[in-house]
Amino acid sequence: MRRTFPAARTRRVLASAVLLLVSALWSPSPVQAQTAREILEQVDQLLRGESSRGRVTMSIATEHWARDLEMEVWSLGTEHSLVRVRSPAREAGTSTLKAGREVWNYLPRVDRTIKVPPAMMMGSWMGSHFTNDDLVRESSIVDDYDFEIAFEGARDGVEVWEFELIPKPDAPVVWGSVEYEVRKDDMMPTHVEYFDESGELVRTMVFSEYRRMDGRLVPARMDVVPADKPAERTTLVYHDLEFDVGLDESFFSLRNLRARR
Amino acid sequence: MSSDALWWRVAWRNLWRNAHRTWITASGLAFGYFASIVLVGLTDGMNAELVENGTRLMVGQVQIHAGDYLPERNMHRTIGGYGGTDVESLLTRIEDHPDIEHATPRLFGGGLLSSGERTVAGLLLGVDAEREVHVSTLLATLDEGRLPRGGAFEVVIGQEMARQLEAGVGDEVVVVVPAADGSMGNDLFTVSGIFQTGTPGIDRDYAVLPLADLQSLMAMAPGRIHEIVTTVTRSRETPAIAASLAAALETTAPEDPEPLDVKPWTELRPELHEAVALMDSMSFVIVIIIFAMAVFGVANTMLIGTFERRREFAVIRALGTTGSSVSRTVVYEGVMLGAISLAAGALVTWPVMVWWHRTPPDLSRWLRGFEWTGVQWRPVLRVEYSVDAPVVTGVALFATAIFAAAYPAWRATRVPPADALADR
Amino acid sequence: MRALVLLRLAARSLGRNLRRSVLTAAAMVLGLALLIFSRALSDGGHEQWIESAVRMGTGHVAVQAPLHLETGRLEHRLDSSAVARVVGALDALPNHDAVRTWTARMSVDGLASSAASAVPVRIEGVDPLREASFSDVGSKLQEGRYLESGDRLHAFVGVELARRLELDVGNRFVLTAQSAAGDVEGQLVRVAGTFRTGVAELDEGLVHVPIETARSWLGTPGAATTVAVLLDTSLDTERVESQLAAALDDDDGIRVMGWREAAPDLDSAVRIDDYGDYIFHIVLFAIVALAILNSVLISVLGRRREFGILQAMGLTGAQTGIVVFLEGLLLTAASGVLGVVVGFLFTWGLFRDGLDFSALMTSDMSFSGSVIDPVVVPFFQPRQLVVSAWSIVIIGTVASLYPALRASRLDPAEAMKFEQ
Repeated sequence: MRRTFPAARTRRVLASAVLLLVSALWSPSPVQAQTAREILEQVDQLLRGESSRGRVTMSIATEHWARDLEMEVWSLGTEHSLVRVRSPAREAGTSTLKAGREVWNYLPRVDRTIKVPPAMMMGSWMGSHFTNDDLVRESSIVDDYDFEIAFEGARDGVEVWEFELIPKPDAPVVWGSVEYEVRKDDMMPTHVEYFDESGELVRTMVFSEYRRMDGRLVPARMDVVPADKPAERTTLVYHDLEFDVGLDESFFSLRNLRARR
Repeated sequence: MSSDALWWRVAWRNLWRNAHRTWITASGLAFGYFASIVLVGLTDGMNAELVENGTRLMVGQVQIHAGDYLPERNMHRTIGGYGGTDVESLLTRIEDHPDIEHATPRLFGGGLLSSGERTVAGLLLGVDAEREVHVSTLLATLDEGRLPRGGAFEVVIGQEMARQLEAGVGDEVVVVVPAADGSMGNDLFTVSGIFQTGTPGIDRDYAVLPLADLQSLMAMAPGRIHEIVTTVTRSRETPAIAASLAAALETTAPEDPEPLDVKPWTELRPELHEAVALMDSMSFVIVIIIFAMAVFGVANTMLIGTFERRREFAVIRALGTTGSSVSRTVVYEGVMLGAISLAAGALVTWPVMVWWHRTPPDLSRWLRGFEWTGVQWRPVLRVEYSVDAPVVTGVALFATAIFAAAYPAWRATRVPPADALADR
Repeated sequence: MRALVLLRLAARSLGRNLRRSVLTAAAMVLGLALLIFSRALSDGGHEQWIESAVRMGTGHVAVQAPLHLETGRLEHRLDSSAVARVVGALDALPNHDAVRTWTARMSVDGLASSAASAVPVRIEGVDPLREASFSDVGSKLQEGRYLESGDRLHAFVGVELARRLELDVGNRFVLTAQSAAGDVEGQLVRVAGTFRTGVAELDEGLVHVPIETARSWLGTPGAATTVAVLLDTSLDTERVESQLAAALDDDDGIRVMGWREAAPDLDSAVRIDDYGDYIFHIVLFAIVALAILNSVLISVLGRRREFGILQAMGLTGAQTGIVVFLEGLLLTAASGVLGVVVGFLFTWGLFRDGLDFSALMTSDMSFSGSVIDPVVVPFFQPRQLVVSAWSIVIIGTVASLYPALRASRLDPAEAMKFEQ
């Protein structure tokens, strides 16, 4: 009798998507990096405790509809983030707070905050190809995966490393493997591919438009494409980005989630 | 011919010469008939109840969807595609089918309901309440409050969901649902009622609201629905009715952009179909046992009764009657006895069946309903009329009575009358 | 005249009218045999139904923390010391024989997610060895294997769940649930095997994992949400339940329930089925009784001469009545014994391995036997056997009273006249 509506495959999420997004904002000095583990641990370490604020456009295209959302994003390390929709007007003010492992939504139309229940964590976040769980999964690449350098050399004239990430036997990760390509000279990621256990590609993230923001080189654009629906995608484009903006944990509170700003 | 009429008269007089024996035999026949018919009716009734219980709460007996809606239940796959359809005219076309009783449109959404600190995931079901009540009992299970009014932002929720939300009638809940345009439809609703179906999955997961309200919440045009559910006149013939409905819909509206998917409950609930088929075969064994005993009882009474008459036959034969005439009389007796008894049996059986069918005893004073194989059962014992049983049972008992009388009579005529009279 | 003489007269009379005796006895023998057969069959079906339901559920007797049945929440669980006490009490039960097996489970609602999708599920941490002999799920194997002892990151899942998550045997997926500490925790497992029960809720919503995996994942060492006890027959439920409750009675944190309390749905279902059964057996008994009564009544009509002869031999009216009554008793007693034997032999001899109802199905559907087992094994309840036999004996005895009464009141001279 009970009906469950399947979360569309395309909305399936990656545990570390946001982490990767944020990690991409950093450009650690590449020179000392020797092994895959060392490189990635370096990224991991640098992320802790850093705060940022930025303006982002999220464009979502699906088989059935397409739309753009202007959003403002604040974050503190990997534990806290707050996203507020600025336009379109109809949805302006809609906000999402991630605090630890919980996700809260603020709906200005009804002036309520709603905690996303566990059963909906795999649901789409704001209709995008991210799930609520993507926001939350405090997945540490270093803890969950074993790495090796699968490829090292020139691709399309650019020197890159391609890391192959294999989940550790016990790690609560759904992927069979993840391929993560990084440019050698500036450590900028170029793309990440997610495979299931039979080696079939499930989702691709592509980074582009590398720009310097607040003094740091970042990939300003990220596209997420589900492999079984190549016509669908979610695109994030950063318009501006600041670092060390002096936020602490108190900023990421329910009270602040509700505050209309 | 005239001698035949004479033997009929003799047989008739014989019956009443020993009225005692006749009454005893007749009562056996009549009761055997009565018991067999009532029992067949009762087992048919239990099986019909199983089918209706299994379909009445939510599923209905025939469901109609867009061809690509099942099994994924993608919310964009509405009947008639993105443009939707003229729901009223489609419903009229469906209800025009002679075997369809009622039809009702539905829209589904998977979303969140939130009250205070509590939030649960739920299934939103948009219905046309006036139509829905004819098709499913979901809205009839309101425990408290009343049905949601259209345009008033009212919703009814299941009892377990109400408990989880700590919300009662009159409380406000936030409903959030992904809309067809990719936005998050959300609005404040008032709980106008709480239903309790007894089926945990439904009481926990479902929130029911007016179709138009859910359509606007999900940014869908009024012509967009996911499902039409119907009830049929004869639930056990649903597969055939579904097929003919599908054909009828195809011919009346060939311009439909997408073919409609018309499914009977036997496909929607195959496990229920299995359970019903199994119950049928179990009922068959029960009926056979009762029937065998009824036949045996009649045969035994007739056999003993006729054997006891061998002295009488001997006397008649000693008086010059031929053996075949004796046998013929006994057969005629059996024919008359059988006809009278069965007629009497039918006269007693029919009012009982009609009464039982119309006012099935409701055991809910002693028992509560329950769920089994995902089916909600009402605690009632009802009977269904059967077409075959009265005829088959009647013929079988009739034939049994005649053969059981004729055999010993025939045996008696083969013994010399003197031996029989001497009790040898 | 001495009773023995009357008895001999009665026996001789039975023998002289062998055909009538046999026919009358046949009604009783067949009636009793049919009663026994149908009783054993319906009791067997019933028992099977209860057993498969309690195997899927929480056993004939379930032991839980007080509020768990109502809330289903992890916080209402038996901690490791409570589990140990329950197990100790089970081992020390005076009628330990009645307990076929028991199993401890750690159940929680959560989410199963794979690279393809995510589905809400019921996760049951089970002891693989004990569960294999307890739950039916393991016997509905589709692919792979059930859990085995020593398994750690293995899961046994419904076929529909596997389909929706696009999983094959050996594939990884992640279970997510709220732990005892209140955090949302993930647990990686791999598909060891799949099952199909035909019940949609189970096939798309049930996951078995080793209980130790569930305990470490949810942070509940040694704990269980339910200790489920399976008995030899449901008839022992109340006895075991009260003995177990008595052994644990000073403990407010432990609740012992029979299946009627733990599964009120099943209780109602069984009760309704009982009503149907009662009606059927009342009808069957009425028909049997009428057949016996009619056989006796109709034969008495032809026996006036015989009764007259007995009295002409010097018996008083009362003595004649006693002889006729004794005839009835002898016949009834013999038929009762024979009926039990025939009923038992027929039922046991032909259907000891069960009667396959699916073979009787008229429709051309392919029956998977998923929801109910179509093979019903007859189940003899001594009490029912005795009740059936007694009711036949009582009917036979009552039926014999009437001819005896008639015989005792007969005017011999009138009876010896040429009869009609």
